[in-house]
Amino acid sequence: MTPPPDPPVPVHHEIDTAHGAEFVSQLGRLTGALPDRVNIDAESVEHGLAKLVLTLIELIRRLLEKQAVRRMEGGLSPEQVEELGLALMALEAKMDELKAQFGLAEEDLTLDLGPLGRLI
Amino acid sequence: MRLYAYCLAEAPPPLPPAVSGIGGATPRVLSLDVGVVGVVSDFPEERAAVSPENVLAHERVVAHVLASTTPLPLRFGAVVSPARLESYVGSHRDALRAAFERVRGCVEMSVKVIWDVADLGAVGGAAGDAGPVAGPSTGPGAAFLEAKRRQILGDETRRERADAVAGWLRARLGHVVRESAVQTRPQEALFLAGAYLVERAQLGEYRERLRGACAERPDLRFLASGPWPPYSFSQAGP
Repeated sequence: MTPPPDPPVPVHHEIDTAHGAEFVSQLGRLTGALPDRVNIDAESVEHGLAKLVLTLIELIRRLLEKQAVRRMEGGLSPEQVEELGLALMALEAKMDELKAQFGLAEEDLTLDLGPLGRLI
Repeated sequence: MRLYAYCLAEAPPPLPPAVSGIGGATPRVLSLDVGVVGVVSDFPEERAAVSPENVLAHERVVAHVLASTTPLPLRFGAVVSPARLESYVGSHRDALRAAFERVRGCVEMSVKVIWDVADLGAVGGAAGDAGPVAGPSTGPGAAFLEAKRRQILGDETRRERADAVAGWLRARLGHVVRESAVQTRPQEALFLAGAYLVERAQLGEYRERLRGACAERPDLRFLASGPWPPYSFSQAGP
């Protein structure tokens, strides 16, 4: 059976806000982060791969930090806290070095998983 | 012959002759299966360039279809042969039927919300007021871990606040929303992007409920837009 016709809606989308300039600015930040076009050449593939690998390492590093904080709250000795903190500091410094080497900023290290949101 | 495919629909939509598609081509309706048509235009290239003109042309055609019937919009850039499109529809018959069922008679309405960045700083400060747990050690390692703890507490508080706003908004919109797809980014000023599937006949009540919700929270800034094709609620694509 043919479904009944849908009530019509306007062709032009309505946009309603009292804060237009602020939304334009915020949405501009998002679109500014998108590439104008996708180049599938050797250099961009290498860069994309580095971004992917560093994103996954960054995710693991942040999980380690959370785990360390939980352990600290669970009652480590001051010496253990210091040792753990120094190890994580060194890891963060190493990540900064790798990001600089590949020309990546902190905000680059994320993956948009669509409906699931962002990885980091 | 290649086609640029814009969307699939259950019935041939009226397309005014003045509507132009990608590259200025005239969109037309192609019968693909029982109860499924495609809105396509002839396309000589292998792929469609991602340009503002092309993206707007894609959106313009789908919007004209949406005016009369709810389509399954295809992602930008679907360049296919007629045989490939027909084969896709034939081999995904059940999934497409379910997808049409899901969005039939509905449109997607969008709500974006900004919160005050100054409040985000206050959240971080409040988390820091919890007091250190690292004990008397004041070495750089302990200080680093303590700073991370404050940051994580602040992040968790912001996440909870963002989720609370998402839940509050969904509750205020109530039964007029058939489905929702909400993304929160608590670290950003624009922290909530919600897509709501609303029946066309309920659009008036949806807008009224949204206006009421906006008035209830003067601490937040809202942007409401729509109606849009149900991009957030269909994943059709050859």
